[in-house]
Amino acid sequence: MAGSLTLDPSQLARAGGQRGRQSRWLRWLLLRLGGVVFVLWAVASVTFFALRLIPGDPAEAILGGPGSQASEEALAQARAHYGLDQPLATQYLVYLGRLAIGDLGSSYALRQSVVSVIGDTLGPTLVLAVLSLAAAVLIALTLAVWSTRGGRGAAALGSTLEIVAAAVPHFWLAISLILVFSTTLGWLPPVSVPGVAGLVLPVLTLAVPLAGFLGQVMREALLDAMESPFVLAARARGEGEGGLFWRHALRHAAIPAVGLVGWAFGSLISGAVVVETIFARQGLGRSLLSAVQSRDVPLVIGVVLVVALGYMLVTTLTDLADRLIDPRLNRRAQQA
Amino acid sequence: MTRTRTLPLLIAASSAIVLLSGCAAAAPQNTEPVKGGTLVYATGDAEPSCLDPHVGGNFPQAIISTQYLESLVSKNVDGEVIAWLATEWTVADDGLSWDFTLRDDVTFTDGTPFTADAVAANVAHLKDPATASSTGYLALDKVASVESVDEHTARFNLTEPDSALLDSLSQPWLAIESPAALQRPQEVNCESPVGTGPFVVTGWNRQQSVTLERNDDYVSPPADAAHEGVAYLDAIEWRFLPDSASRYAALRAGTVDVIDSVQPDTIIAAEDDDAIEHIDAPRPGASNRIELNSSVAPFDDIAVREAFIRSANVDDAVSSLLFGTADRSYSALSSIEKAGVSEPDLFDYDQKEAARLLDEAGWTEKDDDGYRVKNGKRLEVDFPVSTNQSIPAEVSLFEQLQSTTKEAGFKVNLEPLDLSSWYGVLGENDYNLVSAPYTKVGPDVLRILFHSDSTIPAPSGYFANHAQVKDPALDAVLDRASEITDEDERQELYAEAQKTILDGYFILPLYDQQNHYLLRSDVEGLRTMPTVATPTLFDTWLDR
Amino acid sequence: MVRRLGPLEVAAVATIALLALAALAPGVLAPGDPLAIDPLSSFESPSFAHPFGTDESGRDIYTRVVHGTGASLLIGLAATAIGIGLALAFGLLAGFGPRWLDFGTTRVIEVLFAFPGLLFALLFIVVYGPGVVTSTIAVGLSTAPGYARIIRSQVIRVRTSPYLEAATVLGRGRTARIVRHVLPNVAGALFVLATLGIGQSIVWASSLSYLGLGAVPPAAEWGAMLSAGRTYIASFWWMTFFPGLFIVLSAAATTLLGRSLQQNVRAS
Repeated sequence: MAGSLTLDPSQLARAGGQRGRQSRWLRWLLLRLGGVVFVLWAVASVTFFALRLIPGDPAEAILGGPGSQASEEALAQARAHYGLDQPLATQYLVYLGRLAIGDLGSSYALRQSVVSVIGDTLGPTLVLAVLSLAAAVLIALTLAVWSTRGGRGAAALGSTLEIVAAAVPHFWLAISLILVFSTTLGWLPPVSVPGVAGLVLPVLTLAVPLAGFLGQVMREALLDAMESPFVLAARARGEGEGGLFWRHALRHAAIPAVGLVGWAFGSLISGAVVVETIFARQGLGRSLLSAVQSRDVPLVIGVVLVVALGYMLVTTLTDLADRLIDPRLNRRAQQA
Repeated sequence: MTRTRTLPLLIAASSAIVLLSGCAAAAPQNTEPVKGGTLVYATGDAEPSCLDPHVGGNFPQAIISTQYLESLVSKNVDGEVIAWLATEWTVADDGLSWDFTLRDDVTFTDGTPFTADAVAANVAHLKDPATASSTGYLALDKVASVESVDEHTARFNLTEPDSALLDSLSQPWLAIESPAALQRPQEVNCESPVGTGPFVVTGWNRQQSVTLERNDDYVSPPADAAHEGVAYLDAIEWRFLPDSASRYAALRAGTVDVIDSVQPDTIIAAEDDDAIEHIDAPRPGASNRIELNSSVAPFDDIAVREAFIRSANVDDAVSSLLFGTADRSYSALSSIEKAGVSEPDLFDYDQKEAARLLDEAGWTEKDDDGYRVKNGKRLEVDFPVSTNQSIPAEVSLFEQLQSTTKEAGFKVNLEPLDLSSWYGVLGENDYNLVSAPYTKVGPDVLRILFHSDSTIPAPSGYFANHAQVKDPALDAVLDRASEITDEDERQELYAEAQKTILDGYFILPLYDQQNHYLLRSDVEGLRTMPTVATPTLFDTWLDR
Repeated sequence: MVRRLGPLEVAAVATIALLALAALAPGVLAPGDPLAIDPLSSFESPSFAHPFGTDESGRDIYTRVVHGTGASLLIGLAATAIGIGLALAFGLLAGFGPRWLDFGTTRVIEVLFAFPGLLFALLFIVVYGPGVVTSTIAVGLSTAPGYARIIRSQVIRVRTSPYLEAATVLGRGRTARIVRHVLPNVAGALFVLATLGIGQSIVWASSLSYLGLGAVPPAAEWGAMLSAGRTYIASFWWMTFFPGLFIVLSAAATTLLGRSLQQNVRAS
């Protein structure tokens, strides 16, 4: 969220270490892997125990909610079937054991295995997220370049646009887009349909606020880069301003953006909850919301774990990218 | 008024256009049904977790299963029971056994023949705790067993006479499925239930849609269907579109052909659109009403109940929020129930009378905020509202009632709760007001909602008698009405029961359970079943 | 050294001042009763009498938006305070405690970080049920790890700075060092973070309200107003437009202020 948006030296510094030596790389990788396993275990445990705090009988959730008028026999049968009659410690161990072999149990509400629900919904959400991220980077870059190269007026306008874009709630944007492009103009379908046309509005909805954030960061990085010693040096060497901008500054503007990808991932997943609901798109976010609403514990845990895993994958990859793109980071990090 | 006005107006409007455009019309309207095409139906109801309505049993399951499952009997628009999978039925003199003669030319879509054994297997499936049926299970309460007298005669053996049996069997939650298919694991049967209906479930893309294709061997429409033979449509795409604004936008854009769960303002907006038609089909059973919990203070005092009802300005609220798309109800039953009794005089908005009643009941003081006080206690009532069940306009309606009853000195605490928490506070008897819809065919719904037996919670804590009426005399009337088969006497008993309920100020009726559909005007022949007002697409064809 | 305020910053400060006035003394800007219903004039479009139109119960939307400012900003402020308070505790523990404590807290932060965005908020709401208090806490909790990480790095920077080393040499106690030197130094960064965070907290909290997990009717809170108006969007756009506009305005104004503060901090 916003807290992690501001340029965060430690986020960039996390990749600390030295380059060059393979053993160091290996150690870093192993530590990282260990970290991932640890965090996954912790996330799974926190979620497992947190959801046990929910008042009410999970067996009722299984049988269609507390209003289901389920008989005592049916409740007992459901408890036995899902192992809910076992002591908590046993349930926890059984749960961890299954988790270790990739078995996430079966959803209470959907009467399907959690793995297959996630399998069905992960793809559409990934498509949405990746396209939105790409669109956001494109919009942000365009804005950043235009506002840094376009003079004072462009700078002020660009900065305002970015800040307003970042402040727009997803649902408000989605509804406004539907009103304009579907209801009034009739150009685009208001709900998800197969094909490209159905993707335009959901992708825009997710991309615009994200572009607002990315644009702010990128523009600042661009400005910093244009003032940096190496650009000054290049300028002294007689390189033209345009060449300087495209060759050096832009590359450096990408670095903070890469650092923000992890954060962007979280923002996209949260946004997907809203966007998938409004545009009636199949996806992880919508599954999560309906699982939350029906207190479908196994599905909530499953989605949370997948998102956590995805998040850690993304951050590990971006850290790796940081180390590859910008060797200076290592030195800077050591000084910190 | 507007309710009945909408459709004729639209028809008039569209025929006027046909007249005006004359030969210039690009696509002349067909008068004969056209075969083929795929209809896209967008539902705003929740996506069912199981397509077999035996499991659980709610309205979202009913609307979709109407397309692929069929019941033993149905009802016509006059409320009479008509033949469907059963052609005839007789009841024994003691009322304890019913014989149903079944159609002998029907097969399930998996090839299994439809026989008396199949009926027995379905009743057994509904009564099996492993099925976790609630609606169907309750409706079969008095059915002990089903035996096959011969291949095409099924005998229902009852524990007590049940005058509501035919009404119960007409409901989609008691539809007949292939006994062979029921043998499969529940997960499988939930995904692809097998029936005898005009369509077959061929795919379910979660959160997206269910695909239904035409059953080419279909022979068994209900007696009131408009045509014989197979359905006109090739297929139906049954989409789940939870957001009401995008649902309507999709209908206008032509992305979908039919939408349900239509909000009042949308109905009005659609009146101006010639490409869209409106069907209003209130649900049977109980009317939408606010129940006053008579088991705890302050509503244990009938005077306080009456004061609340007198001080609630329902009429203004209904007209401002529903734009005349629904008529005010003064009955415990839906207006489509013949047995319904209306008592408009009991519900006149009268602040003076409310004030007088409260004074009499001892709530004489007022605190600084204008709320009534008695013995140092404020006249405060809790009103938990289920955010999953109530339509948004209803929440606004409750807010308006909160405001008008404040004039009389009531402090109404509206508490929006998710379904689980909502059932939680009901189970703990921690509420004074509540509004819960209840759909069931026939006046027997009164027994479920107002019999003292219904104040005893199920293991899950659920009970249906939220007004907590515990009146032995009323119990006796409702019991008697559920046993006798003489129609006139039955009606009288139900009238008597309703009078007791309304005179006791246990409920504040609002309007019928709303059930509106909007469809593109080239969708022809769509009607709702007279049973629980679910849409049926068997007679439907696309004029394009 | 403070830069001169640009026109944008002036606009932001003016907006915030106006919002603060609306929050503290709503009666000055809108003397009406935000809860007063008038069913017979429901759904009126914006006019001279009702500049923002009326809602489904005939309540004046302008009055409701003004009177809702306090509650809405409070949600943003409270969520940010919860997030930063928690983060401060974590950050100080991690940045100032012994190595093992730093290790432990950093792991906890990492675990919290693995619940990106709304995920933790949703989880929290599953357990404690929806409502305005839960959704505020939920938003606060989900922002905490982001702040914590920044605070920790700030603390480490200050701790290793020459003047703090000097204080250590002078024999000042641990607590004294934190209070005298670290907190004031971190406070500047915190203030910037908070201004940046409030806007986002308001946006997230309104998203939760929109999903039906937030504020309670008939309270005149922006998120709740939006959620009530969402069904009428096709017919009565003003019901969602104006509360939405105020969410965007307040979030944008606080963010602008935060960014300009940030640039001042960096420049000085």
